[in-house]
Amino acid sequence: MKNLIDPLNIVQFKCMREPLTLEAAIKEANRCLLCHDAPCSAGCPAGTDPGKFIRQIKFYNYKGAARTIRRNNILGSVCAFICPVEKLCEKACSIKALEEPININGLQRFATEYGKQSGLEPLALSKKMNGKIAVIGCGPAGMGCASVLAKMDYDVTVFEKENHAGGVPKWNIPEFRLPEEAIAYDVENLLSQGVEIRYQSAVETEEAVSGLLTEGYEAVYISTGLSEAFKLELLKEYTNAMDYIAFLRKVKFDKNSIDIKNKNIAVIGGGSVAVDSAVSAKAAGAAKVYLISLEHLDELPADQEEIKLAQIMNIIFKAGTQITGIAADGKNISGLLGIETEWIEPGKFVPGNVRQIKGTEFSINVDMVIQAIGTKPGSEVMTFAKEIQTKGKGVIIVNDGFETNIPGVFAGGDVINGGATVVQAIGEGKKAAESIDAYLKNRRNNQ
Amino acid sequence: MKKQADLSINFCGVNFENPFCLSSSPVGYHAEMCARAFDAGWGGIVYKTLGLEKSFKVVMPSPRLNAYNVGDKRFVGLQNAEQITDRPIKDNIKDLEWLKKNYPNKVLISSIMGFSDEDWAELAKMSEDAGADLLELNFSCPQMAHKNAGHRVGQDFHAVAAFTEVVKKASKLPVIAKMTPNITDMVPVALAAKEGGADAISAINTLRAITEIDINTLTPLPNIHGNSSPTGFSGPSAKPIALRFVSELYNSKQLNLPISGIGGIETWIDALHFLLLGATNLQVTTGIMKYGYRIVEDMIEGLGDYMLERNIQSLDEIIGRAAKKIVDPSEFNTRYQAVSVVDDTKCIGCGQCYISCQDGANQAMKFDAATRKASVNEERCLGCMLCKHVCPVWDCITYKEVDTQVTKHAAIF
Repeated sequence: MKNLIDPLNIVQFKCMREPLTLEAAIKEANRCLLCHDAPCSAGCPAGTDPGKFIRQIKFYNYKGAARTIRRNNILGSVCAFICPVEKLCEKACSIKALEEPININGLQRFATEYGKQSGLEPLALSKKMNGKIAVIGCGPAGMGCASVLAKMDYDVTVFEKENHAGGVPKWNIPEFRLPEEAIAYDVENLLSQGVEIRYQSAVETEEAVSGLLTEGYEAVYISTGLSEAFKLELLKEYTNAMDYIAFLRKVKFDKNSIDIKNKNIAVIGGGSVAVDSAVSAKAAGAAKVYLISLEHLDELPADQEEIKLAQIMNIIFKAGTQITGIAADGKNISGLLGIETEWIEPGKFVPGNVRQIKGTEFSINVDMVIQAIGTKPGSEVMTFAKEIQTKGKGVIIVNDGFETNIPGVFAGGDVINGGATVVQAIGEGKKAAESIDAYLKNRRNNQ
Repeated sequence: MKKQADLSINFCGVNFENPFCLSSSPVGYHAEMCARAFDAGWGGIVYKTLGLEKSFKVVMPSPRLNAYNVGDKRFVGLQNAEQITDRPIKDNIKDLEWLKKNYPNKVLISSIMGFSDEDWAELAKMSEDAGADLLELNFSCPQMAHKNAGHRVGQDFHAVAAFTEVVKKASKLPVIAKMTPNITDMVPVALAAKEGGADAISAINTLRAITEIDINTLTPLPNIHGNSSPTGFSGPSAKPIALRFVSELYNSKQLNLPISGIGGIETWIDALHFLLLGATNLQVTTGIMKYGYRIVEDMIEGLGDYMLERNIQSLDEIIGRAAKKIVDPSEFNTRYQAVSVVDDTKCIGCGQCYISCQDGANQAMKFDAATRKASVNEERCLGCMLCKHVCPVWDCITYKEVDTQVTKHAAIF
């Protein structure tokens, strides 16, 4: 773990740090005020309940803490590494009025690893007596939903098009932020509940969803995420322009298929995935890496810690700029032309709201361009559920109970919210499970 | 130039530049250590208790310490199975002589423990000849491996009186009798020592205690090759008990002897607590074992500033000042009751006061879920002030006094 990007003498990123020792965890848990209303717990979209697991650590109930996390959040170990705590639970921490917030993800990681190392008993096996449910897509939302349904003794089958579970954390989050073992442990926990995951089982044919419903599945949960990246019109026809989904996956699992050593790379975008792409490129040996974003440095949506790492790695920030043209050699981009921009209306971070600043033109030589400017649901959604109602870029419309317009078909995660955090997707999956349960109970009562 | 406070005391006719002394323990094991303590600023030392090897050969058990930890707070107390000195008497006497010669203005107190009348007399005489200024009689070591010594003597009024008398006959030095707290009432033992001729009382020695059990080996700690024993407990956790004993000694009109206070002193405020309850002289070990001799600098400076700020010319002005306010609970004035008050501007909304009042008091605390602020229902508040003690913010919760003859109060039915 530690040597991932060591050749570049880079500071250790979150997951590369040594976990909290028992001593440090006790110390940290003892700083916690054990608030009556635990605003940290209220601040967790997945309901992981840090207020409770920190209390359990304080009272030396480490296994209990591990159980709380796992029971409430099937991706508890993944979240311990990647959750933007400073925007969620730690933001709400009461002790901030007096001192630094409690290191909540540090304690979460301590507890999950303690549970793992102490051989915590497996989760209860679903009795599978409450009917069959199909979940499409085994990412955070799908796992969150499947886990709660299994706990409620449903017979859950997850259809996953890849040969591995985990979704975005598995394929698109670099290993220097999230170790593979964390994902593996969480998937193992889900399997221990008796959830069946069918790998390489893409649901994409017409009428597939209605097929599932007639095959005996009483409800279907769609959690297929956002699988298609937006691409700039300007770069469409060039072979060395790639989207971040493909890039991050290649750089994580198939490094040799892309040649970036000593090359100049431009990443377009300002979110976490853009910064992850830039840092991954640099770590893989790129010469110069540019990060081109409409947002200015203080407006980047990426986490502060990621930005800090990118700065230390000498990523060249072209923040508050726009690409205006390209220099090409046949189908190959060899350079980018850009210009500095400002917002016409302050605080409205959309491409239509920028004004170019004359006299700030620049050009850079690049060997590859990575686009991280957003994603949308895959086109298969419209195929496997033709009548499903969507909006905007194709996100599925659901009601408060995460139910689509098709009876018995529910959806959650990025495919409905258009792209949010992992912890948000887990929370939506959990809530959908409750809703599915209520729906089925209601249906049975009326039969 | 900074004005210097006068921290000197007179204790049993001996002048101390300040009241701070090492207590008899490993911190005063030999001359080189004591010399460093003097150099650091300690006013006196009570040398590690002498015994005669011809009567009892001391072998220290090992390991002999266990720290008492609470949560992340380590070393809030210390358990030890230490014995009296295991060094030969001739070496120790040489060390005492050297110390007196090299530090003539510092106070040298020889702590002794005999196993017979002859032992006590011999040790007293040897100490006096070596230049000791005072003698301290160890009637209180709670873990002596010898069955007729230590706290067993300290619980026997007759033995205490008799051994004190033997020492007084053998030496002209003033004698301090060191008391065990492992007894319900210390005053009768102190009176027995007085009857034997003691000039002062020192208290407390350590408390017999068991700090911890290894939950894997099921053996109490310290694990001395498979066994343990309730042995001497000291440090900040022992201080409240020490303060109680010191105040009782001081408030005994019949006793009326100067007191050397011992038990959990680490700071000048701890020291002041002992002085205010009647101690004239002060002794420290556990604080030194944890932090080193250097802590005396902060005691001297802190206590000195306290005196200067209040224009206190001499410690005599404050010794025992708080002891006068120690009364029997039957004498409490209950006409005046408290009601707690939460300072809205300081409340950080953690709700600890609410939880504690709900489950540990009279459900008088309210917690507003929307504003995350605590407030008091005065009609239910019993004035116990539990809320104040669990609040993480200093001075957020205070109390206001209610005269129950004027205003209704929940505690008066």
